[in-house]
Amino acid sequence: MPGALPVIVRAELLAARNRLVKRNPARLVILVITLLVAGVFLGGGAFAIGATAGHFLPFALDTLLAAGFTGLSLLMLVVGFPTVIASLFVGRDLLQLVVAPVRTRDIFVARLMTAVTANLLLSFVLAAGVLGVGAGTGAPWFYFPMALLLIGVQVLVVTALQAILMTVILRWVPAKMARDVAAAVAGLTGAGLYLAWNLNLRKTFGRRGTAPDISNLTSVVQRIDWLPTTWPGHALSATLQGNTASALVWMLAALALAALLVATAELLYARTLLLGLGVFGVTTTGWRRRKPRPFTPISPLTAGALRARAELPTRWGAQGSPYFAIAKKDWLGFRRDVRRLTRLLPAMLLPLGYAAALSQPARNLSGFWSNVALVTFLSMFMSSALATPSIPSERRGFQLLRLAPLTMWQLLRAKVLIALPVVLAAMLVFSVAVAVASKSGAIQLLELVIFGVWLAFGFVSISVSGGAIDPHFEATDDRRSVGVLGSLTSIGGSLGFSVLSIGALALFLFGEQAAAGAANLGPIPSTPAVGFAMILGGFLLVAAGCALVAVMLTFANARLRAFDGSISET
Amino acid sequence: MTDERSPAVEARQLVKRYGTVTAVDGVSFQARRGEIFGFLGANGAGKTTTLRMLCGLLRPTSGTALIDGIDIVAQPLPAKAKLGYLDEEPFVHPHLTGREFLDFVADLYGMARGPQREERKARLLNLFDLAQKDGELIGSYSHGMRQKIGLASLLIREPSVLLLDEPTNGLDPRSARLVKDLLEELAARGTTVLLSTHILEVAQALCRRVAIIDRGRIVAIGSMDELRVQTGSEGANLEDLFLKLTAGPESREMIERLLEGGS
Repeated sequence: MPGALPVIVRAELLAARNRLVKRNPARLVILVITLLVAGVFLGGGAFAIGATAGHFLPFALDTLLAAGFTGLSLLMLVVGFPTVIASLFVGRDLLQLVVAPVRTRDIFVARLMTAVTANLLLSFVLAAGVLGVGAGTGAPWFYFPMALLLIGVQVLVVTALQAILMTVILRWVPAKMARDVAAAVAGLTGAGLYLAWNLNLRKTFGRRGTAPDISNLTSVVQRIDWLPTTWPGHALSATLQGNTASALVWMLAALALAALLVATAELLYARTLLLGLGVFGVTTTGWRRRKPRPFTPISPLTAGALRARAELPTRWGAQGSPYFAIAKKDWLGFRRDVRRLTRLLPAMLLPLGYAAALSQPARNLSGFWSNVALVTFLSMFMSSALATPSIPSERRGFQLLRLAPLTMWQLLRAKVLIALPVVLAAMLVFSVAVAVASKSGAIQLLELVIFGVWLAFGFVSISVSGGAIDPHFEATDDRRSVGVLGSLTSIGGSLGFSVLSIGALALFLFGEQAAAGAANLGPIPSTPAVGFAMILGGFLLVAAGCALVAVMLTFANARLRAFDGSISET
Repeated sequence: MTDERSPAVEARQLVKRYGTVTAVDGVSFQARRGEIFGFLGANGAGKTTTLRMLCGLLRPTSGTALIDGIDIVAQPLPAKAKLGYLDEEPFVHPHLTGREFLDFVADLYGMARGPQREERKARLLNLFDLAQKDGELIGSYSHGMRQKIGLASLLIREPSVLLLDEPTNGLDPRSARLVKDLLEELAARGTTVLLSTHILEVAQALCRRVAIIDRGRIVAIGSMDELRVQTGSEGANLEDLFLKLTAGPESREMIERLLEGGS
């Protein structure tokens, strides 16, 4: 069909508009505000840094610009990959285009417009920085449109490269799996960058009055000077230095490279579609999850063998257990669902990174209390990541559980028991690690471990309850599977439980010291009576913690029992 | 408590309202033990909603749903232990293989492990031509295969009441025939089957009695002969009776108009 491109683009725009219009207005407002704030802070910050560098570091501009473009290219290559795969190779709407009498070039160009969106968003930060450099150096007027053009070209180069890479990868890996793995890598990169930024901020605020040292950066850029990712940077620095001929050469080289890569990507894309790869979920090498067991039809001999095998005593007894069934199903699902696994990894990276960053004891806290704070934080974070989506992630399978002769109490208990060993194991390892690292004694280690076990029980129960209170069974993404009410209840309950638990621990430890007359309690006398009163207070806080968990579970049970909806296929 | 004389499935004045919309409006019927009972209606007539109330997935706004004489709202666990429900889109776990899914369901219902269960599982996978798919995840199954694994997951535990919502939907002719034969065999052995469908040939071939629901209300109930008498349509087949009772538009006339408009 000639002229299909405008038709496809119009439909894409219409779909995008509908997605926006059909959104909850409150969410739309939040999205706009978030974008505005991020734009002002990130864009403003990058512009200010660029302007400062342009003004104070004129000798390093070529290095900075080349490094900026190379860094942006790497970031786009990793973080923007899932969007490129989703736009060009996955999606049922793509199937409709493939079967229609439309030239693959039109499909490629139309989908490329969607594919570049993530990379374009990322390039916004560099654009602000590069414009800042221009402002800081007092660059000629044509520097600014040229900078924007070159950033656009770089976005095209990286997107085309991603498309080319995918046409190769798809020969061995199904498109959906490639997208999920790419999303995991992007998530980990994002979490890593966020963490690195935070750690850098800590270091920056701890070190004042030192000048920036860019000698390392200069030597790195000199080594990668030949890379095409640096060409737009060289073009811009040549413009700033007034070397127009050199600027033109670099710019033309960048444009030629972009044209070459886009044309190659378009050719390979057409071939990929013709081979039925990607969108149809086919691979040329016949990707399989695992080799199937050879099946033999039941014969008297086989039946006898089965009987003999089944008569062997098993660890779980002869009666099927719903708890075991749910645990096994969850474990298999988790192991096989790359998407769930990949979403959990970045969530796990953050608490571990923070824990490492915060493991230096604070000035006015002893090592033990610093460890208590760390164990509390990590336990809360892990429980939230693992246990909160455990009931909503049943999705339509929840109806199967509702049809079974199983109470919702049993389901909640099963989900707590499934998540608990993982959190407990992580807590034990972490408690021992921090206790050893901080050279704590055996008693303090034991206190920390008991505290960790208590926290794990509480946080996991609260997190499972939070997910059960407001489940979104239709959500395909675990991160959106719990509603606002559930999230708030879970966070509020966990924070309350932390305060009660740390309070109880403090009352127990200081109460014991006071009873022995060895505590320093300021104006309060350190006597046995005060010590016993403090220990009693500790028990009251423990009771309050138990009550909090019980209330959460009861509320969750009531909400699950009252669930009366249908869950549509997603 | 189960009463052997009570009907296997009984709906008493079931009502389901969503805000101002009444999806099911006072539906009452009984299905006897060992009977295949047809539940017919057009799209959106209230079949699925009624079935979901009967199996405990939906709470009725009013009325009672009884399985083997047990109120499913008041005593859900014993009632659910007796029934098997197959949704028109079966509830399956995409990340399990067929064999693992059958094990999951068997354990969920507390079925004893042992040779009988293993044999039954293997026979069911064989029966539904799913044995060759062993090792593949249900997520990669076609719709028909999901339907078959859904049916197998009901049959592995031999419930006394089956509530089936469009069970032959998406099945190839051979599998559809297999399901029909299987249901007849199960009914002959005493299993009660409540079959919701809009494939009237299936209903006419299998069901001893049928209930026709239209806009949330039962408009007719009985055997084919009883329905003919009720409508005064001697010799009519189920399709004619259905169209007469649900007062649908004259489709032939509409098709002619459409074709005239297009030519």
